[in-house]
Amino acid sequence: MNRLSLLLYLFCFSTLVGCYDRIELEQQSYVIAIGIDKTDEEGLVDVTFQIANPEVGSTPGGGGEGEEPKETVTLTGTDIISATTTANAFVSKELKLDHTKAIVISEELARSGEFLRVIQAATRTNQIRRGVQIIVTKEPAQEFLNNNKPKMETRPHKYYQLMLNRASEIGIIPDADVHRFFQITEGDADLFLAPYATTEIEEQKKGTTEDDYIAGNVPQQGGSSSQFMGSAVLKEGTMIDVLNGAETRIALTLDNTIELTDIYSTYKDPIKPKYRVAGSFGKKRNTEVNIDYKKNGTTKIDILVPFELEIFSVPSLVDYSRNEKNKEILRKSIEDELEENAKVLIKKSQEEYGSEPFYWSLYVRDNFKTVKEYEQADWNKKIFPTAEINIEYHLIKLEFGKAIDDTKLNEVRD
Amino acid sequence: MKKTRLKSRELFAIVVVVVGFKLADTTPAQYAQEGQNAFWLMPIISFLVIFPSFLLLMYLLKKYKDKNLIQLMMIILGRPLGTITGLVVFFIAYGLLIFDARNYADQTKLLYFPESPTPVILVIFLIVTFFGAKRGFQAIGTSTFVTLPYLKLSVFMLAVLIIQKVVWLRIFPIFGEGLGTILWEGAKRGATFSDLFIITIAYTAFKNGKTFSKGIYFGALFALFEIVFFFLLYTTLYDYNSIDKTAFPFHDITQYVNFGEFFTNVETFFMVFWLGAAFLRFIILVYLASWILGEVLYMDEFEPFILPLTFFIFPFSLLVENTILNELVWRNSLFIIATPIFILLPLILWVTAKAKGDLKKQ
Repeated sequence: MNRLSLLLYLFCFSTLVGCYDRIELEQQSYVIAIGIDKTDEEGLVDVTFQIANPEVGSTPGGGGEGEEPKETVTLTGTDIISATTTANAFVSKELKLDHTKAIVISEELARSGEFLRVIQAATRTNQIRRGVQIIVTKEPAQEFLNNNKPKMETRPHKYYQLMLNRASEIGIIPDADVHRFFQITEGDADLFLAPYATTEIEEQKKGTTEDDYIAGNVPQQGGSSSQFMGSAVLKEGTMIDVLNGAETRIALTLDNTIELTDIYSTYKDPIKPKYRVAGSFGKKRNTEVNIDYKKNGTTKIDILVPFELEIFSVPSLVDYSRNEKNKEILRKSIEDELEENAKVLIKKSQEEYGSEPFYWSLYVRDNFKTVKEYEQADWNKKIFPTAEINIEYHLIKLEFGKAIDDTKLNEVRD
Repeated sequence: MKKTRLKSRELFAIVVVVVGFKLADTTPAQYAQEGQNAFWLMPIISFLVIFPSFLLLMYLLKKYKDKNLIQLMMIILGRPLGTITGLVVFFIAYGLLIFDARNYADQTKLLYFPESPTPVILVIFLIVTFFGAKRGFQAIGTSTFVTLPYLKLSVFMLAVLIIQKVVWLRIFPIFGEGLGTILWEGAKRGATFSDLFIITIAYTAFKNGKTFSKGIYFGALFALFEIVFFFLLYTTLYDYNSIDKTAFPFHDITQYVNFGEFFTNVETFFMVFWLGAAFLRFIILVYLASWILGEVLYMDEFEPFILPLTFFIFPFSLLVENTILNELVWRNSLFIIATPIFILLPLILWVTAKAKGDLKKQ
């Protein structure tokens, strides 16, 4: 008996080596970004893998000097997962998608509506995580990944992580992971916003404000050639439009499911309209969305956006901080300006899109007891497009930074 | 079975591991097939449906001091009938065990060891279970109690991480598929809490009835709370259209969360605790199943049953073709069959006991 249990124990040890799933680090290569493009043939897509080279940038002067930080390969296949094995025809190691940070799709593919079919694979295997970000590019994704050569963050995983985090924090692109994509697309009521990016810098538009651009026309000199700005609007998995940075930012402030940090932006100077006032916009409280649902009739939607603003630059040198009257004028003007912009976007979504990118369908749901009733009421076809929407921005706190007053320019020049 | 030195707290730990673990297997997926975004309400219904019967059983056990589940049945129903009902209880307990074994082996394979064959994972799993169960009830109880805080801490951590990503408004429309569906489908799955009945086989191992009832009631309530809370998190994270498409919501969320920017891909951390809990749960259930069989067959020693019972899980659980079939068809059917049995059993016992006049004596 003792001998038998000894044998059993020994057998247990033999299982500990884990022969089946044992794989050395050396034998795998990590895909950081996946690009998907349309091909001429239906059912086939071009898949581009951007593979990180872990030897670069990890240890100072370590092995692999002179090697590229990443390798980008493209092949044709039916889906992402099976393409990883086909890729082994010319990539020496097993491709692992566990560390993928971004899925890049071309505008062409997004507009064709094929994207949903391709991304389905992400839910069935556990290789692609729900936290992977979706990016829509103006040019083919293959081109984007090949041209994207960051100057400072040469290690690709850090690049995508930092680039996407920062840009979505300040609201010029949305935070758009696979999880959110499925929740919104399967929910079939709202619009999904995905970051819009490009490496094709075309003619540079002279915008009026700092974020009135979409990727590709942000005036830029020097630096990396890829721009992330604005968002692609996806309705039921198909791309229908592009929002610029400013519109994206409005959409994000109206959406309570997204977290924003303080946003630096400029506003009209009400007293000297030639100049603009710069400040940081903070959304500290949730936007209040009140929906008065009427089954037969016009639904009323009241929106109240409480926000804080910290002014840090008044180039016109008008005294807004101490003069109460001026302060009121400024307050009113900023609120009006924001409301104006939001109204334009809301109108556009009601008339053009027939649905909204603010995830407001959440607020109508408590009017229904069952999913069936809710689906029959049809938020994006019947309720929202005909609703009467009032929006109000409310500035709850206006601050002026740490300086009490600006330098008196005329006195200095005297 | 002689008394052990186990107290209420060990029983509490056993109940929480055995019942509460259902938040992390495929039980939520089963519920979500019917209830959509209101599926978090369904375990409450299941609990309410089965709990009165359980209270009745506890009452009977108290009346007939020092008898466990099977001994109680033997005394009240007489030997032939008692043996038959005892076997029914055993087969249900063992059947659930078989489906669960396959379920856990498949989850481990799909999520962490994609290249390993299911039988190999299952064999390793069962070997560990066998050695664990052989240590006896005292050791099982103590080790469950000792590990419980760590298991719960990991689950709590996951809840904290995921709570930032949930959208609470997704619980509306509040009744999902409709109130009728929630009530009916919830009631059908009362067997989710059938393990409570199975644990009463250990009634005699504790110092007295009070110790036992204290442990099992608190454990049951805690497990219920835990299950409902996690189901609520799943609902608000996935929304009604996606929740029924996810087979392993617990593992899906462990893959989704990160500890900040630097520590990404942390699911293996949670997997360790999950696996630990799965082993414990299995060890307990195999031990209790052997105990039931031992009592039914009037054996003085039931521990020799542990080896064959653990061994036969292997061929039986491999009979089913794939996880989806295992889960949504077979396990589900067994749940639906087992529910009325567990609801009726204490009633039959009580009515018979009343008719025989046994209850008046004390």
